[in-house]
Amino acid sequence: MAGFEPKLVCFSCKFGWGYLGDEAKIDSQVKNRVPIICSGKVDATHILDAFKAGADGVLILGCSEDNCHYQDGNLEAQKRVYLLQKVLAAYGIEPERVKVELSTDPEGKKIAEAVKRFSEAIKKLGPLGKAEVEVSRVA
Amino acid sequence: MTAKPKIAIAWLGSCGGCDEAVVDINKDILKVAEATDIIFWPVALDFKYHHLEALGKGEIALSIINGNVRNSEHEEVAKLIRAKTRVVLAFGACACFGGTPGMANFRSKEDIFNWVYRDAPTVVNPKGNYPQPRSQPNGKELTLPEFYEQVFALNQIIDVDYYLPGCPPPPDLILNAIDAFLEDKLPPKGSTLAPQKALCDSCKRNTTKPRNVEIHDIKRIHEVEASPDICFLAQDIICMGIATRGGCGESCININLPCRGCFGPVEGVKDAGAKYVSALASMLEAEDDKDLKKLVDKIDDLPGYLYRFSLPSSILVKKRK
Amino acid sequence: MWQTKSSGEARVEEAMKQLLPPCQIKCPINEDIQRTNVLLSLLPQNVDEAKFGIIQIGDYLYEKNPFFNICGYICGICELECNYKAKGGSIRRRLLKRFLSDYYSDYLNQKEELSIVKDKENVAIIGGGPGGLMCAYNLSKKGYRPTVFESSDRLGGALWLVPEYRLPQAILKTTMDNLIRLANIDVKYNARVGDGKLTFERLRNDGYRAIFVAKGTPYPRVLTFGTDVVEGQNLSGVMYGHTFLYEMSHGNLGPDYLQEKRVVVIGGGNVAFDVARTARRLGGDVTVVALESEDKNSKDAIPADEEEVRGAWEEDIRIVPSRGVRRIVGEHGRFKSIECPRCISVFDETGFNPKFDYDDLRNISGDVLIITVGQVPDRAFLQKEGLLDEKGRLAVDPFTLQSLRNPMVFIGGDVRRIGFMVEAMREGMEAAESIHRYLRGLDMREGRKRQFEPFPIPYRDTYKPPTEVIWVPPEKRRHFQLFERGLTLHEAIEEAKRCVTCGPCMSCKACISIGFEKSLYAVEVDEQRCSGCGICVYACNYSSANLLMKDGRLVSATDMFRCKSCGICVAACPSGARTLVDDNTHERIDEVIASLGK
Repeated sequence: MAGFEPKLVCFSCKFGWGYLGDEAKIDSQVKNRVPIICSGKVDATHILDAFKAGADGVLILGCSEDNCHYQDGNLEAQKRVYLLQKVLAAYGIEPERVKVELSTDPEGKKIAEAVKRFSEAIKKLGPLGKAEVEVSRVA
Repeated sequence: MTAKPKIAIAWLGSCGGCDEAVVDINKDILKVAEATDIIFWPVALDFKYHHLEALGKGEIALSIINGNVRNSEHEEVAKLIRAKTRVVLAFGACACFGGTPGMANFRSKEDIFNWVYRDAPTVVNPKGNYPQPRSQPNGKELTLPEFYEQVFALNQIIDVDYYLPGCPPPPDLILNAIDAFLEDKLPPKGSTLAPQKALCDSCKRNTTKPRNVEIHDIKRIHEVEASPDICFLAQDIICMGIATRGGCGESCININLPCRGCFGPVEGVKDAGAKYVSALASMLEAEDDKDLKKLVDKIDDLPGYLYRFSLPSSILVKKRK
Repeated sequence: MWQTKSSGEARVEEAMKQLLPPCQIKCPINEDIQRTNVLLSLLPQNVDEAKFGIIQIGDYLYEKNPFFNICGYICGICELECNYKAKGGSIRRRLLKRFLSDYYSDYLNQKEELSIVKDKENVAIIGGGPGGLMCAYNLSKKGYRPTVFESSDRLGGALWLVPEYRLPQAILKTTMDNLIRLANIDVKYNARVGDGKLTFERLRNDGYRAIFVAKGTPYPRVLTFGTDVVEGQNLSGVMYGHTFLYEMSHGNLGPDYLQEKRVVVIGGGNVAFDVARTARRLGGDVTVVALESEDKNSKDAIPADEEEVRGAWEEDIRIVPSRGVRRIVGEHGRFKSIECPRCISVFDETGFNPKFDYDDLRNISGDVLIITVGQVPDRAFLQKEGLLDEKGRLAVDPFTLQSLRNPMVFIGGDVRRIGFMVEAMREGMEAAESIHRYLRGLDMREGRKRQFEPFPIPYRDTYKPPTEVIWVPPEKRRHFQLFERGLTLHEAIEEAKRCVTCGPCMSCKACISIGFEKSLYAVEVDEQRCSGCGICVYACNYSSANLLMKDGRLVSATDMFRCKSCGICVAACPSGARTLVDDNTHERIDEVIASLGK
């Protein structure tokens, strides 16, 4: 779709991504990033709120297998997302719109790449589109 | 002599169970009838809409409305009652969160009509007649309420003052609510007239949970002989109790059925399903990623289970086109 | 690249009852192992970039432990208590410090002097070993003017006896030289206190207001059997291990010194193995004869470290366990053989009380006999200065290290009780504190007694095996180069990552020191919402979230000593009853979500 620039939210864990990099530089490359102490802290509620607010995709960057500083926060995030993908499908939101990527990137150079890759995949899915959902008719 | 407070008990998109529940307070119904003037109760009394229209603004002290809003008649009645009422109580899961018919929000209106009026196995409709909001049989104009694109909870249509969840609400909570109203002891507006905590707080099986609940397999209640004494989660059976408001007296648990969440989310939580996902993840255990995916796949209709009673009031409300 | 600071919120807190990871409890100086492990794990993979971080970590460790780089070669006591030991292998903390030393030891020459104002009393430190130097270092930091009286021409004490294949002399020298430079410590070499004029009286007259005796154990223990001294210890070809290593450290023994000689070493401790492996490298055919048993699990096990025994065995050193030495047999004034009855047991309820089977005798022949059965202090000196009691034992308060005979004298290190380098350092630290309190007229004991409570290992799905340690192949070990290859940067980072941070946040704060979080967020449980469902207990890997009975209801609570403020339980709680106090991550989330609508 021409000119479609996906609106993405990216959660990146502090112990795995970018702790050696230039925070300001990464922020300039990636909008809407939430640095978080552990990917396991991301609540399913946050992801749903993001989609409700108009996000086309949500990307969670956590530490690679076995390397979570808090032992298994990255696995918790992965489990939550697998479950949530079932729920999102019922809401008509493709499961590919939420993704957990488990890897290590101390410099933070791969954050922009990961977001770009994700963005390309979301472009293929197209925009999530307005919900055409009425939330309330109360005056 | 001071006039008795007027109360109305109305049903919108309802199965009738909530009205049944009011009657379930047994002989106490007489007490209520004594203390109040029930001026509208379609299931039991013969008042009509025009009786409501004739009332002055705020003349009704308390309106107990059950059922969700699915069509234009429901909306009209809801708004009519709101205009004439001082305190509106959303009664039952349908009014509070949308209820079981709320699951229709996972389908489009078109899908629903196609199934109900054309594709379902027992339908015989050779002319393909679908209900229309306006039609002219025999030259006369006939209107039907418009079937909306989605199911609404009551507070998505009118301002709601109090909530009493349940499918249906249990008699003791109903009586407490009415007594509180009669004695002018209602909590601040917006409150839910039920306990604030999740079901586990009062469930007898809570103390039977092991130190760590690990779910390696998913079992459905009808596939196994569940022990009546041990927490369902510890038996690999999904139970919504952890994310569901308590107050029902564990009526399902007591007959060895896992909770399905009819009391909606716990106080302060917007979307019980999302919270349940976050909690369930902590309990699932699998050897590797492949097994984990298999385990998640094994859960039959997770979205339907999580949002059985509360889909319209969930964060995402409805399926997108 | 992150910058770590140690002031303000990032400063490690001390408390009377200290909750610590077991490794830090085991370390006699309670080094901040966990914090520095975490910082190590966050180093960049590029060596040049990593140096900046390594120096910071080193500077942090140096503050409390100016010998930390030496620890990297010869200490590893913490590893004995590491929780990971039971799950596959202790964190190789010694090698991690050796890794730091590889970069930090050079940097020491450039490290800036500590800015200390020394305006308090003069204190005499007798002995320039780790105990004495640690005392001098700590007194310097407190503003005192310590003078070290070292009887030889070099500082380091017993550390010089460690063979070079374990501890290169260059590292030792650099560390010592820079320590006295950085802390501006006055040293008098070749000053033998107790030898003639240099008495305590003289020191007092010269203006020293307190004295710390850390003379160590300069003499070897003679061989005894039962209560008798074994005859023949002055035969030609018989020497003491202590003397042997001393001569070795001065470079007085050529590389073929023991070529084609059969060397018998008596002793089962680490020093005996140092002697044996040194003798082997000098060309000898070595046999170690130990009183103790080869059964590692027995109470009578050979006391030397497993690594030493393994190394010796690899180097073709014969080990003869469970043998005592009753007689040394000579011929024409030269050592010929030893007579060894079998030792049935070493310790019993009364303590050291070896029992022998005299019907099982073995004669072991050799050309050289090296007796390494321990070291003893200079008792004559202690006696002369009146520090012994009527029974001839050192009269010293074991807690404050103050002499019970002379209040201005403090005694610590090997001279008081033989131990490891770090134990002597601990006593040097304690003595410095005691001297400070003594000179300032403060209570000697207040606030010093500390009780420790160890923490268990957090739960993980899988535990990782330790990094493999590479030793030079045995056939190539005939020299005195380090036989153990240290860790590369990559290996060090991976090994440090293995540390699962058992200990409480308040004694670590690594994440705060580099700005990941602004403080340790407390977890608050809203008891009006908590249903006691227990999900938080399953979600928490640190056994921090627990259910308690309160007024007949189950409610969850968080043990803030165990909590890591990670927030996993907050997300998992199905009632939304938990919050992280003062954490504003949710503000950022709200901000991002709000911007999506625009």
